[in-house]
Amino acid sequence: MPDRRRAKEIVFQAVVAILTFSTIAPLLHIIFSVFVEGLPVLIKGGISFLTDTLAPPSDGLGGIGPAIVGTFVLIALSSLMGLPIALMTGIYSAEYPRSIIGRAAKILLQIMMEFPTILVGLFVMELLVIPMGSYSALAGAFALAVIMMPYVAISTEEALKEIPRSYREAAFSLGLSRAQVVFRVLIKMAKRGTLTGILVGMAKVAGETAPLLFTAGGSERIYFRGLNRPIGAIPLLIYQLVQQPYDNYHQIAWGASLLLMLIFLGIFIPTRLLLREVKF
Amino acid sequence: MNSLEIINLNVYYGNRHVIKGINLKIPQKVVFAIIGPSGSGKSTLLRAINRLIELDEDAKVEGDVRLFKKSIYEMDPREVRRRIGMVFQQPNPFPHMSIYDNVALGPRLNKLVRNKEELDYLVEWALKKAALWDEVKDRLGDLASKLSGGQQQRLCIARALALKPDVLLLDEPTSALDPVSTAKIENLLLELKKSYTVVIVTHRIQQAARIGDYTAFLLDGKLVEVGDTAQIFVNPKDRRTEAYITGRFG
Repeated sequence: MPDRRRAKEIVFQAVVAILTFSTIAPLLHIIFSVFVEGLPVLIKGGISFLTDTLAPPSDGLGGIGPAIVGTFVLIALSSLMGLPIALMTGIYSAEYPRSIIGRAAKILLQIMMEFPTILVGLFVMELLVIPMGSYSALAGAFALAVIMMPYVAISTEEALKEIPRSYREAAFSLGLSRAQVVFRVLIKMAKRGTLTGILVGMAKVAGETAPLLFTAGGSERIYFRGLNRPIGAIPLLIYQLVQQPYDNYHQIAWGASLLLMLIFLGIFIPTRLLLREVKF
Repeated sequence: MNSLEIINLNVYYGNRHVIKGINLKIPQKVVFAIIGPSGSGKSTLLRAINRLIELDEDAKVEGDVRLFKKSIYEMDPREVRRRIGMVFQQPNPFPHMSIYDNVALGPRLNKLVRNKEELDYLVEWALKKAALWDEVKDRLGDLASKLSGGQQQRLCIARALALKPDVLLLDEPTSALDPVSTAKIENLLLELKKSYTVVIVTHRIQQAARIGDYTAFLLDGKLVEVGDTAQIFVNPKDRRTEAYITGRFG
């Protein structure tokens, strides 16, 4: 009998191990193939792959400069629009958790976080692109801001709530106003959690494609020219290139994929390390 | 004149009635000890005295507390808290701030000083009053979290004193400390009562006997007995007081 129980145990463990592996296998495969296919492109393209504009069909690699600049411009712009609002939302729902707005915000933010991003793109198209008559950096950044905000708001709220009650009481006992308690004491204690949310939000929008389809418009051959003009982004460029029948475009797409992954991991890995340190 | 007068005070948390009709007069420049078993309402009473209880949305307060004859409910809560300082059970200096900034925060944000020299002077004064200056004067820029528990608690006392309060409330300030640190704080409180009214909640009966000029005994939200500490300990009028201080319950 004990032998049979032991055998069952081993089979169970093996099944769990196999299932676990098959869950993470796609991730490993993506990382592996992006490196194998993308690295030669980056080496062959050299620095000019980062700075040049898109090559003509079937004529070398050129570069993806406008898309790289576009991605960073979009991250910066969407942060500028989204972060202040998101931080205030997080602070509000942490400070007034029982209020109707506070409770509603919490639920709506959770929904927003899981919301299909393409619908965000459609919403911004209707709101900005159609009235303005053109795709624009502004519209792209706005769509990304909408996607970034719930991550930042929720992590800010959670970071503030993690602070032991006794520090809040201590701050209030010094005769401070609520604003002073929050902005001069608590938010600094919640710095790590808040920062983590901001970086996760940025990493998330750096990789988004769907919300940019109907808003940013893309720009492969011309660098950033203004808020009201179309703008490129690396994910958007990849999406456009793989649909083309040209071999060199597929290669460029692999190179762009590797760059995108490096940018994403460059934000994401330090964030995870930061996250582990959060404690009181 | 009494520094604090508590008049028919009732506190409710939702449906729970936690402070039941308490009347107390607390004279100036004394150590006033409040004793009682856990859950008797000691901490709640302190938080009603400096209106910190209003941070809790469930709490409802009836009755009055007067600070030098003026109702604290007619004052700005921020002014009440400035004039009635508080020290908590767990030492809670702000861990991300320096020793200096912990003391300087209150005066700075309440605009009690005009310039850096005045602030430096006030910080030094408060740290000396809290008997911590000699131990930290060479490392004011260090994080407060680097201090020992006893030092942190004295830093919290300095933080409260820096606002030049009239009254200092302490909620079991030594319960997390070792005997040496406890003795230091008790001596400090005896020193501080020369200029302040000190109200200390304690679950250690001996502490009340050692430092209290007056002692009040709370049980189940009610004031059972209040009087000279000597009288309370030697000749309690109520059987429940006697039972508590002789260790028969609590």
